[in-house]
Amino acid sequence: MALFRKKSERETTLQMAPMIDCVFLLLIFFMVSSVMKNEPSFTVTLPDSETKHEFPRKKYNLFIGQNDELAIDDRTHDLYSMERWLSANQERISTLIIKADRYAKHGRVIDVMERAKLILDKEEGQEIALMVSEEQL
Amino acid sequence: MNDKKTMRSRKKKPQEMDMAPMIDCVFLLLIFFMVSTTFAPMPGIRVQLPPPGKPNPNKPKGLIVRIANPEAGQSKGVMVLNDEIIEYDDIYNNLLDQPIEIKSMLIIQSERLVLHEQIIKVIDLAKRAGIEGVGFAVVARE
Repeated sequence: MALFRKKSERETTLQMAPMIDCVFLLLIFFMVSSVMKNEPSFTVTLPDSETKHEFPRKKYNLFIGQNDELAIDDRTHDLYSMERWLSANQERISTLIIKADRYAKHGRVIDVMERAKLILDKEEGQEIALMVSEEQL
Repeated sequence: MNDKKTMRSRKKKPQEMDMAPMIDCVFLLLIFFMVSTTFAPMPGIRVQLPPPGKPNPNKPKGLIVRIANPEAGQSKGVMVLNDEIIEYDDIYNNLLDQPIEIKSMLIIQSERLVLHEQIIKVIDLAKRAGIEGVGFAVVARE
């Protein structure tokens, strides 16, 4: 009789521990895998293109604005500070993602790409990608 | 005696931690991170630049498109492919008709004020016409 009562008492409390373990695991997964959006003060409208390649979302995007503004994530740069930043953080970049506005001048884009090319190491598979808009044409 | 009893009951309480607020908090964080994560990749175009250093004395193999600065009041500059002025609507067909051996590479030589949109458009058309590599010509800096 005493044994029976004990059993029914146990069943009333829900076992929380496995659920909490699970939730923690999910939390850690999402925390590690999420990349926060980091955009500069100027707006960038990406150009349209029908052919597109897919690149994973990463930190350290390079933004080029309409009026020759330059930024890496939310920090504005000029060509020299960008060059310095790139050589300092070279090993953290696998693909340099350039988000240039559709009305950005080609000269500026070339300036940036050429400097990046000198710094990035092709042997290690570092490359440059120009982003296009996500809209389907 | 009575005092002692209350002491004991008070002591017993903190032994089992109240988990509910922590779980609430963790759930909130979980939901925040789940909602804010995007796994969809970003679309883009891979580009090439000629290797840095001295310009190659041999003429690079491949097609060369030259784009001039847009005239005042116009958004697009004049384009030249193989010494012929070419219209935007004709690029695709023109590139498609090129012999296969020079179709491996398209080099874009463009002036500085050309809009980025126009360059992307040319790359897009070139890729659709079956050209794999698209590169840019750059002027050597001091």
